[in-house]
Amino acid sequence: MKVFVAAVAFAVVAAVAVAMVLNTIQEPSSVAFTTSGARVGDSGHNLIGPG
Amino acid sequence: MPGSLSFLKVFTPKTSILTLCAAMALLFVLAHPAAAQLSFRPTAEAVQEDQLLNALQRGDKITGRITIPDTRASSLIQPAGRDWRDFQRSRLPIIGGVAIIGMVALLAIFLMVRGRIRVDHGFSGAKILRFAGFERFIHWLTASCFIVLALSGLNISFGRILILPLFGPDVFATMSAYAKFAHNYLAFPFMLGLVMMFLIWIKDNIPGKLDLEWIKQGGGILSAGKHPPAKRFNAGQKGIFWIVIIGGALMSVSGWFLIFPYLAATVTVLQFWTVIHAVIAMLFIAAMLAHIYIGSIGMEGAFDAMGTGEVDLNWAKEHHALWVEEQQAKAGAPTDSTPRAVPAE
Repeated sequence: MKVFVAAVAFAVVAAVAVAMVLNTIQEPSSVAFTTSGARVGDSGHNLIGPG
Repeated sequence: MPGSLSFLKVFTPKTSILTLCAAMALLFVLAHPAAAQLSFRPTAEAVQEDQLLNALQRGDKITGRITIPDTRASSLIQPAGRDWRDFQRSRLPIIGGVAIIGMVALLAIFLMVRGRIRVDHGFSGAKILRFAGFERFIHWLTASCFIVLALSGLNISFGRILILPLFGPDVFATMSAYAKFAHNYLAFPFMLGLVMMFLIWIKDNIPGKLDLEWIKQGGGILSAGKHPPAKRFNAGQKGIFWIVIIGGALMSVSGWFLIFPYLAATVTVLQFWTVIHAVIAMLFIAAMLAHIYIGSIGMEGAFDAMGTGEVDLNWAKEHHALWVEEQQAKAGAPTDSTPRAVPAE
C-alpha cells in the first residue's frame, strides 16, 4: 500500500512539475503566432487568450 | 466624287476604334443577362466551385497567402480532413466499443466458464519475494497514470455520448477541461514509468522455446491441474510486457505530436498520429483489462505479487516453477514447501 501511495504521489508531483516547466518555456498562442504589429495588448480570455 | 470622298473621310481610324468599342459594349450588355442567369443555377455553380477548389489545390490542401508568422495558417481547406473527422466520429467509437466491450464480455464469459483460477495445492503459508519495492513502485506509477490517461482519453471519444446527457454541458465541459490537463501532464510520468519498466524487466521477457510449450498448453489456465513450467515471466506475461512496451511507445510518440501539434510537418501528418493514438489506445485499454482481470479476480493469489510483493510459494511453484527453482538454488534453500521467503533479485 505504501508503494502504491508513493507511486501515485510521485505521478502527481511529476505531472505538476512538467506543467510548470512547460508553462514557463512555452509562449501563449496569441503571442507565438502573431507579429508584434498585430498583437493586442490584452488578448483576453477567449480561445486565443492565455486563460 | 466630293460626296464619296466626304463619306470616306468619316471612316477614319479614330472612328473605327470608337465603333468597335461600342459594338463590344453592346455585346457585353447583351451577354450579361445570360451569365447572370447561369450563376443562379445551383448545379452550374457547384461545378464552378469544384473547378475553383481543384485549381487552388496544391498537394493535399487548398492554400491561400498569409502574412502572419505561422505559415501553416495558409491552409484554407484540407479535403482529407473530412475523412479524418468522419473516422473520429463514427468508425473510432465502433472500434473502441467493440474492443473494450468485447474484451469485458470475453472476460465475463471466461470467468463464468472457467471460474477463478485457484491454487491447486492450496496456500502453503510460505512466501517468496516476487517483486521488489522499486519494481512495484514503477508498476504502480505506470498503472495509475495509465488509468487516468485511459479514462480521460475515453472521455474524448465517448464522453459526448455517455456523460454529457447525464451531467449537462457545464459539468461536462469543466470535467473535460481538467481531464485534458491530467491527460497532457500525466503522460510524462507514464512515459518515465514505461522506460523504467523496459529497463528493469527486459532481461526476463525475451521470448524463448519454453514459451512455445506454454502457449501449446494454453498456459494451464484453460483447465485445472495443468501447469506448464515457466521462468520469472510466462509467455502470457511476456505478451503483456511487449504490448505495454510497443503500445506505450506508439502512444508516447503519437501523443508527443498531439501535445506539441506544430512539430508535425503538415496537418496530414498530425491527423495520421491522432488516428494511431486513438486506435492503439482502444486496443491498449482492451489488453490492459485482460491484464487487470488475471492479476486480480481471475487468478487467486496473483494480486499479492504487486500488492505486497510476496506470493505464496505454492502459487509460485504452480505458475513459475523454473523461477522458484532458480531462486531457491541461489539462496541454497530446499525445493519443498518449507516456509521461507526467498528474494527474487
